[in-house]
Amino acid sequence: MSPVRGDVVVAGIGSEYRRDDGVGVEVARVLAAASSDVVDVGPIGEPLDLLGRWDDVGLAVVVDAVRGEESPGTIHVLELDPDRRSGAGDPMSGAGSLASTHGLGVIDVLRLARAVGAAPRRVVLVGVVGECFDAGIGLSEAVGRAVPAAASLVLALLDGGS
Amino acid sequence: MSHGTRRADRTFAVDGLARVEGEGSFRAVVRDGAVADVELTIFEPPRFFEALLRGRDRLEPPDITARICGICPVAYQMSACRAIEDAYGLRVGAEIAALRRLLYCGEWIQSHALHVALLHAPDFLGCADAVELAQLDRPAVERALRLKRIGNTVMETVGGRSVHPVNVRVGGFYKAPALEQIAALAELLREARDLALATVEWTAGFDFPDVEADYLFVALHDPERYAIDSGRICSTAGLDTDAAGFLAAIVEEHVERSTALQSRLFGRDDYLTGPLARYALNREQLGAPARGAADAAGLGASCRNPFRSIVVRSVELVEACDQALRIVEAYDAPHPPAVEIPVAAGTGAGATEAPRGLLLHRYEIGVDGLITSAQIVPPTAQNQLSIEADLRRVVELGLDLPDDELTWRCEQAVRNHDPCISCAAHFLDVEVVRG
Repeated sequence: MSPVRGDVVVAGIGSEYRRDDGVGVEVARVLAAASSDVVDVGPIGEPLDLLGRWDDVGLAVVVDAVRGEESPGTIHVLELDPDRRSGAGDPMSGAGSLASTHGLGVIDVLRLARAVGAAPRRVVLVGVVGECFDAGIGLSEAVGRAVPAAASLVLALLDGGS
Repeated sequence: MSHGTRRADRTFAVDGLARVEGEGSFRAVVRDGAVADVELTIFEPPRFFEALLRGRDRLEPPDITARICGICPVAYQMSACRAIEDAYGLRVGAEIAALRRLLYCGEWIQSHALHVALLHAPDFLGCADAVELAQLDRPAVERALRLKRIGNTVMETVGGRSVHPVNVRVGGFYKAPALEQIAALAELLREARDLALATVEWTAGFDFPDVEADYLFVALHDPERYAIDSGRICSTAGLDTDAAGFLAAIVEEHVERSTALQSRLFGRDDYLTGPLARYALNREQLGAPARGAADAAGLGASCRNPFRSIVVRSVELVEACDQALRIVEAYDAPHPPAVEIPVAAGTGAGATEAPRGLLLHRYEIGVDGLITSAQIVPPTAQNQLSIEADLRRVVELGLDLPDDELTWRCEQAVRNHDPCISCAAHFLDVEVVRG
């Protein structure tokens, strides 16, 4: 789901039928319930659907499941900037893996948006390390516990925090 | 990623297929200078959604199955609705049918625009991806993004939102859009039709390999219109049946390498659904703008060159815009917006044309209205054998090529059919082996 508030877009990406892949959708759902400023426009399963939804806004916050070696439920907050890749080890160089199970990653969609002059001025990825991406319903316990903290982080970003 | 050397015996593998929805792998084995085996492999717990649907209410499949694919949720919703309505012998009225087709046109527009310009065109223009294409030909990418947005707007207007529409229910819609909401789409759709016509002209100018394939085409056919969600299932070999009859005529086979079920048609294993099939069977039903565009592009009565599917898909983009415009101009809001669905036992099947090809659903429902059995046959599972045959030809013709170039050609051969691997396996991965 993609809550919207003024010059800010918050996009929860993923599928709730792929276990922890649904964490972005769940965080967005919590946000929509917590704030009347946030408008729920539906879960985004394909990052390309960001195009047309985040065009030219000041800040886009993308919440998605990520794969990583850290403990499940670990939250990463990353400024996405495809022009500032620094090579191996840089999260930007591994954008595909950051984009969980989706075929076209958020960073590639951002590159495309920039190429046609329709990109947000700033994109922040709030990534929650997932544990299980099998077909099924329900977040794993550690990832489920991370949802309130991830939602709070997004609200802080919306309120101007960095 | 590829492994191996340029030898008579070699194995090479592609670990991921870029620009294909979902995850897939492809593997080819070359032995003594000849192609020994070609496999398209699908990983993913099969039939998860079919199992999930058992025990659910007969009204739930449109919402649940819409989540199988982020690109074609409407296709899943519409096939589910048709199957459940078929179980009760119900047919919706002309107004609801038209509104459904308008929603479906929105999905065709956004899906075809995405595939043609952002996923497929880079193959013909020497670009690695849509970002490089945007640097080479920014207007082409902007045109596609505009088309996608107009498609999304159509879906939002009819379906409530463009991602997993919420206004669809078995029997029709929760709420019919107001006349002025639908009327506001007309101008956008005229613009979209012009953009689509420009897209046909653009893709028709690409260089295509000179390839012809002996496909058995299968598609819905409706004498009244270019079939999207109506008509009977026909083939170029004379098949003419309904969804239940077609499901009885195919065998869904589990092969060890694939967690999706491959579909085989009795009498001949492989068959192809999707734009090439629809065009071959339904060219006469195209509206004047799409037919004119097809003629100008030199497509002829049918097209058996899989690489030129990008042109056919562009023609269908014109048709979807044109059909949508005709529906908008004649819109009459359905009252009521849905027919009532009884709580009763029944068995029904339904088929519609997803952007990628024929999508069938079948449900058995108990007296309590709960589903006892669900079957979903997506287009990519049906096309898998034909895609493998294409890949075999590409590898045979490209044995002397370096691995990286052959890998790229194989990826292109797969993309020709716009496979939605997350639908088929419900995800896929691609690998090629020479050894």
